[in-house]
Amino acid sequence: MRYTVIIFSLFLLLGFNAETNAQQKKVVVKGTVMDRAAKTPIPGAIILSGKPLVTVGQTDANGKFNVSVNDDGELTFKYIGYKSIVRKVTADHVINVSLEEEVNSLKEYVVIGYAKKTKEVSTGSSVIITAKDIQDVPVANVMELLQGKVAGLNIQNNNGTPGMRGSMNIRGISNVNVSGAGDKAFLTPTSPLFVVDGVPVDDNSNYSYGFESAGPGISPISLIPVEDIQQIEVLKDAQATSLYGSRGAYGVILITTKRGNSKVPIISYTTSFNIATPPSLRKVIGGKGERLMRIDQILNYDTSFYDGLKNINNTPFLADSLNSYYNNSTNWQSYYYRTTLNQTHNVNISGGDQSFNYKVNTGYYNEKGIVENTDFTRYNLGMNAQYMPNDRFKLVASLANALTNSSAGGGNSLSQTGLADGASSSSLLPAPSLYTASNGLLNTLNVKNDNKVINITANLDVEYEILRGLRASNTMSYTYMTQGTDKFTPGSLSDGFNQVYNYFDRKNTLYNRTRVAYVKEIAEKHNFSASVFTELNSTDFRADAMKQNSTPNDHITGPLGNDWANSLGGTLNNLSDVRSVSLATAFSYNYMQKYVLDLTYRWDGSSTNGPDAGYSKSPAVAVRWNFNKEDFLKSTSNWLDYGSIRLSYGKNIVPTGSVYDVYGKYIAGGNYNQLPTVGLDLGVIPNTGLTPTTTTQYNAAFEAGFLNRFNLTFETYYKQVDNMLRDKEISNINAFGKVKTNEMSVVNYGYELNLSARILPAGKGFSWTLSANGALNKDVMAHLPDGVSQLMVVDANTGQNILYRLGKNSLTNVLLNTTGVYGSNSQIPVDPLTGLRYRAGSATSFNGLSYFKAGDPRWTDVNGDYILDVNDYVAAGNSQPLVTGGINSFMQYKGFSLNVQGVFTLKRDILNNATSARFQNFSDPLDQKVDKKGLQGLVPLEQFLYWKKLGDNATYPNPYDYIRYKDINPFRFDQTLFQEDGSYFKLQQVTLSYNLDKKFIKRFGVSSLRVYGTAYNIYTFSNYSGPNPESVTDLGRDNSGGYPSARKYILGLNVQF
Amino acid sequence: MNNKYPLASLCIFFIGLVLLVSTVGCTKNLPENRESIGMDTRFTQTVYSPVLGRNTLFSDNFYLGSSSQPLTFKIINMRTRDGVAAPELTKTTPVQVWTQPYLGDEKSVAEIEAKRKIENRPLFEVREHSGQFLMWSAANSAAIKTQPDSGYVFDVEMSNSGGRRYFRDFKLMPLKERAYEPSEMDPKTGLSKYVGLIPNSMFNIRGERTGNYMFFSEVGVLFKKNAGAGNSLTFKFVDSLFKPIDPNKFNLTKWDKLVHGFNMVKTNEYVKYDVAYPIPLIAYRTDYTNILGDKARVIFRYERQGFGNIREEAYLNLDFAIFEPGNWEITVWFTGERPKFSND
Repeated sequence: MRYTVIIFSLFLLLGFNAETNAQQKKVVVKGTVMDRAAKTPIPGAIILSGKPLVTVGQTDANGKFNVSVNDDGELTFKYIGYKSIVRKVTADHVINVSLEEEVNSLKEYVVIGYAKKTKEVSTGSSVIITAKDIQDVPVANVMELLQGKVAGLNIQNNNGTPGMRGSMNIRGISNVNVSGAGDKAFLTPTSPLFVVDGVPVDDNSNYSYGFESAGPGISPISLIPVEDIQQIEVLKDAQATSLYGSRGAYGVILITTKRGNSKVPIISYTTSFNIATPPSLRKVIGGKGERLMRIDQILNYDTSFYDGLKNINNTPFLADSLNSYYNNSTNWQSYYYRTTLNQTHNVNISGGDQSFNYKVNTGYYNEKGIVENTDFTRYNLGMNAQYMPNDRFKLVASLANALTNSSAGGGNSLSQTGLADGASSSSLLPAPSLYTASNGLLNTLNVKNDNKVINITANLDVEYEILRGLRASNTMSYTYMTQGTDKFTPGSLSDGFNQVYNYFDRKNTLYNRTRVAYVKEIAEKHNFSASVFTELNSTDFRADAMKQNSTPNDHITGPLGNDWANSLGGTLNNLSDVRSVSLATAFSYNYMQKYVLDLTYRWDGSSTNGPDAGYSKSPAVAVRWNFNKEDFLKSTSNWLDYGSIRLSYGKNIVPTGSVYDVYGKYIAGGNYNQLPTVGLDLGVIPNTGLTPTTTTQYNAAFEAGFLNRFNLTFETYYKQVDNMLRDKEISNINAFGKVKTNEMSVVNYGYELNLSARILPAGKGFSWTLSANGALNKDVMAHLPDGVSQLMVVDANTGQNILYRLGKNSLTNVLLNTTGVYGSNSQIPVDPLTGLRYRAGSATSFNGLSYFKAGDPRWTDVNGDYILDVNDYVAAGNSQPLVTGGINSFMQYKGFSLNVQGVFTLKRDILNNATSARFQNFSDPLDQKVDKKGLQGLVPLEQFLYWKKLGDNATYPNPYDYIRYKDINPFRFDQTLFQEDGSYFKLQQVTLSYNLDKKFIKRFGVSSLRVYGTAYNIYTFSNYSGPNPESVTDLGRDNSGGYPSARKYILGLNVQF
Repeated sequence: MNNKYPLASLCIFFIGLVLLVSTVGCTKNLPENRESIGMDTRFTQTVYSPVLGRNTLFSDNFYLGSSSQPLTFKIINMRTRDGVAAPELTKTTPVQVWTQPYLGDEKSVAEIEAKRKIENRPLFEVREHSGQFLMWSAANSAAIKTQPDSGYVFDVEMSNSGGRRYFRDFKLMPLKERAYEPSEMDPKTGLSKYVGLIPNSMFNIRGERTGNYMFFSEVGVLFKKNAGAGNSLTFKFVDSLFKPIDPNKFNLTKWDKLVHGFNMVKTNEYVKYDVAYPIPLIAYRTDYTNILGDKARVIFRYERQGFGNIREEAYLNLDFAIFEPGNWEITVWFTGERPKFSND
């Protein structure tokens, strides 16, 4: 309150100052500023007058203004995103203007390297998304909504867990290292750097997609309420990102939250209700049908009819059909999936003008997951205030608080493996209760999992103009984030051994940036700007976990327990304390905004660097030519709005490895002479010569606008990542097992196209804007360790190996080539020398089961030895998409508007492990626990063309021959039969909204009221046979353990008072 | 106005060209997508000693390392130890190859023969993509140097789209034919080291004179190839004086399932079948082979009433392989006393 008073008094003082400067005769001019297309008033439009232009006022919430100006003066009306209009003061002193939306994207403001400039003079590649584009769908993580909106930003919303985000890459993959195996194999995440209101936020270390963290694993970006976001800017090329230093190597995404911008306080309330429905569930065979199917299979394919009978009679769930435990037809999926009703509320109070403004935002977001026992709730309270008494001094303070509560049920942030197994349980098993066998379901339902994340960010910005053109600024922020997990697994689920798991971590980030910038204009032609800034960053992180086994009973959930031998506790080994310091300089010159030159250079030092690594340096050079301003093209000005070419080159250098990789690590060893010992960790040998990873990027772009209706941006880029870090096994004669080296390189190159067209321009009642963007990205492996030309990443789990080969796409699936199914026995090749048939595995099994016969898959024998083994894999398929993009259509008629959005991904190969696993369920009709998953349900196979009898020309092998299953493994994951094209077009969003008539709502004291209905994630058009070509891991594997994406139907309301 | 349009279009075209060239120029220096030839790739076996007269396949002789498959192998420079070219191994010769699988359920020799055919092939080959070496049964010691001669030397060329590598100085040191297994022949000299082989197992066979159990030392097995056309296999049982023993005395023997032969002729002196050679035809387990499938298994059984009215079942089992076609005769020679078939 005290500050408010001080600030107001300062403001008043300034007001008097302005008055005293007035010399001519003053008149009061009134009027309204309207949006020409929407016919709605524009609050916060700025009115300028005089020479040089000085702000004289602003419109209020109803678009009305009241300013005092010279009687012969001119008024300039400005509003961000609209064309400015200049009007002479009229005789009656009333001016009503309608501003037209600015289509010329060059006038948009972009922020690059903490400096704001118009696109016209920016040489970097960036795309801006405004609040309007993301207002109609409530999501926990705003990145979900950027899908298909930015060319070159590939987002796959493949993780439906509330509060999580899917995988995202800017301009292809930057790291090809794979961790984990099988369905849990993931690429090392290379998420872009997020900068929220000028402060970098690290989303790469503990929260990333594909990282199964010990804690809740909530992305920090999920803590930002979508309603509070004013603008998102995606920086793609090296010129734009190099000033963000090493952390910007994977692209930078700037998020700006809303600011107050109206003299009269505006209270805006946004609410929405949505129904989230699970995707269509798969069909299963239930009850008697399943039992008969199993019995039929056994009788037909057991070694003999009588052995089959014996086996059936020895298997209670098949023979004892009257036993109520087995006499069921349980629909397991219905226990796991649910339709939920969710709501969000957000109140934003803002006001003020250029010299002083404020905003307070409170939000509530609740999303119940479509999987039972998973949910996400977020509470937000944030504020910011800007005080700018004059053009020389500016102070911005902001504070953001977020609290989230979430539950991951029996799974974790990434996958619901228990669910996948449980939901595919056999229908013969009884419905869940504590006395039944299926723990997967009870695990999901009964595990008490409570995750809490608290984030507090405080931010203070001060800017002062020391001399004319010379500005100094300082930004300081402090972020405290803590995450906690409480998980209790009842003993009734785990053989009587209950378990308490408790996790707690805290992370402190202190960030400071000091910047000096100088701007100079000479002869209204030569524009110079230069800046220098330093950045300091200090982050410490510590996580503690406690696992307590065997508490007294299921009602006492800790802290006492009796099984001390198996109980663990302590600080996790991801403890870190990292400092970094940077210095950056930027120089920019333009000649009449026609020729632009940008030079930047940045030094980064980090406490994780090795002693031999030194400072990493990120240079960038870029030029821009706005050729439409050339005299010889003057004549085209009636159809060419703007046209320019940009070229840029830059490097981002990222220090790699942790401090342990550089210096080694001591670990506590065993006891020696009753004394604890400390020894060297012999896992990884220290390597002080670790060099940083270098990302070099070239970018060329062409931009043009025609007839004030069409905009086109075409960009092409070449991005080379060198010195990628990788573990290398070293010879076992060394004491150490591995060494980390920087020896891999990968290149991405591609094209991006962005088109937008106002097919029916605004102002004629009906308007229609159509925009489309697409990116084509190719990646090439350019260097491998030790100079070899190929390397295989062996997948121990599913055998779906990944091949790195020079000159080829960097991640190649290596699979057996399935060319069909043997229709009859005579089709099986015979070794001319030995007379033996083609067989699986080199051993000639005594029972002869490994020889192929009719109904088996026809796998290509690549090396021609009549044996199917590791030598028969072929490089087939690329798990990374070739083309990604989106289409957006916006139609408006009077108060109604219809927004349709679609996204597409073309040419990517998906490994359909889900279908493969479904077929594999037929391998164990007697439930002999071959796969250790418990009794699994059977799905109908009618939709698949599988082999039934001799002479069939089938696509899928015979699923019923379970005796030979172990030898042949016809539905193995690692074959091209289950590699499918994952191209899709997704109808992402349809929104119909209506702005209520101003005059009507004014009666209720409301200045603006908008209602809308949205259908989100509506339908995916694809030839893919699995459930959803998008719900696959970043390596293109459709694992049934993933969390499906919900379809949402939303009804929302925006009110402004 | 009109004359200005082409200028602008030209300008845009020129800009597009620059963009295209700049990307193409960048990707020019990327490595070519070629298969890999690993420096760690090697053959793990360099000396090959096949026994002539039978099909031999050398597997598991190659370590792939970091090469990409499929690779292509070629034998080059086949030569004798003193460097003289050895065309006898590389020139094509008619060999018998399988075209359909032998399963052990064929009903006649003709049906078996229909599953193989004659093809012209080099006697010693490398499998084109796997690096396995194979020696065909048509190779014989009349044309090919055998041990104790030091044999042949050859090189192998390995290639794929990534390049080629040469592996030098493989040794091929064939052994002389041994027409049947087990064999009494010395593998190097080809001379018999002793007379007669022993059966694989004997059980409960008592001597006629003493009533004692008989041992391996009292039974010999003789292989003999008789002259004449056709392929047949004859079993005979003789006593120490080569007087025939009636095969019918082995009264439990399943004569029709003894070997995969047809047109059985059983007299008081011998049992004869028309067969296809080699025996067994392939190393595949059938009713007529041992568990591994690499040898034919014959079991001669009989029963008698022993002392104290106990039924005694006895058998004699022989596992063998014969590689050379012809009219073979296997004689089981009881060198001591005759087996006792009569009841006590």
